Amino acid sequence: MWLPTVVAVALVGAGWSWIAAEHPYVLPTLSEVGRTLVSDPVLFVENAWSTLQIALLGVAWGAGTAFVLALLMSEIPVLRRAIMPLAVVLNVTPVVALAPALVVAFGFGMTPKVIVTAIVTVFPVLINVTTGLRSVPGPALHVFRTLHASRLEVLLKLRLPSSLPYALAALRVVLPLSIVGAVVAEFVAAGSSSGLGTMIRNAAANAQLPHVYAAIACLATMGVLMLAFTALLERRLLFWHESQLTNPS
Amino acid sequence: MTSERIEVRGLTKIYEGGDPHRPTLDRIDLDVPRGQFVSLIGPSGCGKSTLVRVVAGLEDYDEGAVTVFDATPRQMCAAKAVGFVPQTPALLPWLNVRRNVSLPARVNRRAGKGAEHPDELLRMVGLEDAARKYPHELSGGMCQRVAIARAFGTRPDLLLMDEPFSALDEFTREALQWHLLRLWERMSTTVLFVTHSVREAVTLSDRIVVMSARPGRVHEVIPVDLPRPRGDEVTGPRGHALEDRVRASLLGAWESGAAPDDLIPQ
Repeated sequence: MWLPTVVAVALVGAGWSWIAAEHPYVLPTLSEVGRTLVSDPVLFVENAWSTLQIALLGVAWGAGTAFVLALLMSEIPVLRRAIMPLAVVLNVTPVVALAPALVVAFGFGMTPKVIVTAIVTVFPVLINVTTGLRSVPGPALHVFRTLHASRLEVLLKLRLPSSLPYALAALRVVLPLSIVGAVVAEFVAAGSSSGLGTMIRNAAANAQLPHVYAAIACLATMGVLMLAFTALLERRLLFWHESQLTNPS
Repeated sequence: MTSERIEVRGLTKIYEGGDPHRPTLDRIDLDVPRGQFVSLIGPSGCGKSTLVRVVAGLEDYDEGAVTVFDATPRQMCAAKAVGFVPQTPALLPWLNVRRNVSLPARVNRRAGKGAEHPDELLRMVGLEDAARKYPHELSGGMCQRVAIARAFGTRPDLLLMDEPFSALDEFTREALQWHLLRLWERMSTTVLFVTHSVREAVTLSDRIVVMSARPGRVHEVIPVDLPRPRGDEVTGPRGHALEDRVRASLLGAWESGAAPDDLIPQ
């Protein structure tokens, strides 16, 4: 079962090593990357932590705002018509382009980076949770209405639980996306002193390829851990949902 | 003086965008005394489900009047006096069976209406062992039993059932009919029951309302004079004679309306 994966990894590794040996300025050798990581693990952990903080704060703000907006929009149709076009425009705007302006406005601290990350994560959560809140099956709603359930009761006992699969699907998209947002913000915020994005930018300027790829490896690891965390959440919270009921073969 | 019946008078409903000359419900008159079990049967599009939803307060209507024991349908719902069993069980998949059954007790507490104990309800539908299970662990028939137990949860004055057994296989369906009859005999609730099955209507009902389609009208009301509690008579000659009578009436209803081709009286 694992064989195809192992073979694929071995092939990519072999190809990488071959290119690194022939063209040292295209790729560093894997052993160089490994040695760089081992030589100063604290440096990488600290920078990873710095980036992770921005990513998670960004998700908390972005997803939190989107969730509240989605709730308001599902309950107040006028708000949906008002906000949806803005959200769509925000989504097609390349946020990278906003980042320098945000740095001007908020300085070199964490704030502009968190804002960039938050903006990146707002839209997927907003769309998914809005869809989820409206995806309540008619018959269940009829049962609630014949019991004369209040709007709050319908929201808490029916709409919110029904939207949970959608919210978690959004989280699955948005958590890795938050790392992208944080790194891009670090690229742009010249003069920032920490974070893997800053590290990559500075190392690349000095042609230190092993450092660049070591930092990228850290980012990839963070992404994988985030996916594993979402998968765990889904198994815990969505045990009743069809997405969790089919056994992966 | 209070009226001990459901009264439907001249009820007319035209769906938005529908043909105003062919209302979904066309001047429906219906009287159901308290405690009766009444089935609605008819070709697709005759408005039987719409009629039940109007009585449930789930839909508005254009003309006429509906009163349920002297109250409007919405007042009945506000007092938690209505139980509703839709075509699909519509259980909440994130709650276990017991929590699903006790749902009516946990919403709209303002009504101050007492509720049956969930374990007692589950015992009545023979599911006391499944209390901790989740809907995805149950068969379709078991889910529908849970839905019925839930609908009986507030000891409703009126139970509305919209083809509750139509998605089940015949064997399960017959078993559930007896379950329902036993519950009904115990709880003495008034029932409006939408069905496609002639046999089902004869087995369960005191009266069968045959409806015709396009426009949706009451074609005929057939009393079922089989003794209660129901038993072997249902499958005996008297039961068969009644079934034949209902089928003949359905054929008449079909010919009187512009029925779709998919009508096949069972």
